[in-house]
Amino acid sequence: MSITLARAEPSIAGVGDYIELMKPRVMSLVVFTALVGLMVAPGHVHPVIGFVALLCITVGAGAAGALNMWYDADIDARMARTAARPIPRGRITPGEAAGFGFTLAAFAVVTLGLLVNVLSAALLAFTIFFYVAVYTAWLKRVTPQNIVIGGAAGALPPMIGWAAATGALALEPVLLFLIIFVWTPPHFWALSLYRSDDYARAGIPMLPVVAGEHETRRQILFYTLVLAPLGVAPWLLGYTGPAYGAAALLLGGILIALALRVRKEREGHRASKQLFGFSILYLFLLFAMLLIDRMPGALFGSFA
Amino acid sequence: MSTATDTMNEQERRPPGIKLTEQQLRARRARSIAIALALGAFVLLIFVVTMVKLGSGALSGDDYMRPVQTTK
Repeated sequence: MSITLARAEPSIAGVGDYIELMKPRVMSLVVFTALVGLMVAPGHVHPVIGFVALLCITVGAGAAGALNMWYDADIDARMARTAARPIPRGRITPGEAAGFGFTLAAFAVVTLGLLVNVLSAALLAFTIFFYVAVYTAWLKRVTPQNIVIGGAAGALPPMIGWAAATGALALEPVLLFLIIFVWTPPHFWALSLYRSDDYARAGIPMLPVVAGEHETRRQILFYTLVLAPLGVAPWLLGYTGPAYGAAALLLGGILIALALRVRKEREGHRASKQLFGFSILYLFLLFAMLLIDRMPGALFGSFA
Repeated sequence: MSTATDTMNEQERRPPGIKLTEQQLRARRARSIAIALALGAFVLLIFVVTMVKLGSGALSGDDYMRPVQTTK
């Protein structure tokens, strides 16, 4: 028996390709929510330690993105939205992406554990594992609930930030987790409504592909109706001031109105696109308000 | 004739190698610089954190590995 070994071509991947592999746009939301978790936590964190924690969470998120692109290279090549990613485009080989992802993940977790605390490192490791093994390798290809359960990975960063600051967990970070967890399905389903052909071509069982548009629109409204009160909960439970409460009520109201428009939409996907766009703004503003609400007491503490 | 044979032998003896294109060389150089910068930044980070921990009384056991005292 003879084995033919393909000769590896020297890589042409530039630094930009590796940055793209880390999904910088997803990373920015992860960093922001982690920053809020870190800042609203009680007590003081030395600015350098806070910076290290955020850096590790950022790198960990990038590692998860790279490993996602490594595992999903086959389906990425079949979808218009993802066909230009570095692996389908032939800039980076799957092996290079895997090596990059695993190395960054190990670095981020070990550094966070050694320089900040073990709880935050364990949570970061679990987040990367959940995103890569549970969501990417398992749920994404087998169930329309992929985005619901997999959303837990994207919801964990504020808890990691909180854990980095305090070395413990409490109800407040769990609430932040729940807000992002419930926000994820309507956000992604709004996108998948106008990208369902793409997902169908790639064989991904997204809700519009499996259950149809009508059911997806119904589920979007259901999750939005759960999300809006959850967004207000930090104020109702006394964790924030009335300014946050007012903003959460207003933003939640707009989100419900958009979800209702999506529910009623019969032709085209204008309302879905609007909901998708506003959902990003919703999460950003909600967390920004949390940050502003705590600003006087949440500034990185003294250097003592 | 013998010269031609010598040249052929010379080519056979030469270890097989890959000749990089201009684009591959440029990409490799950029990656090398990025790795060097990342490594330098990591070393600097460890140095700064060490100073912070020592400065905050790490030698007396009061370091940032411990959970921060809550003020609420």
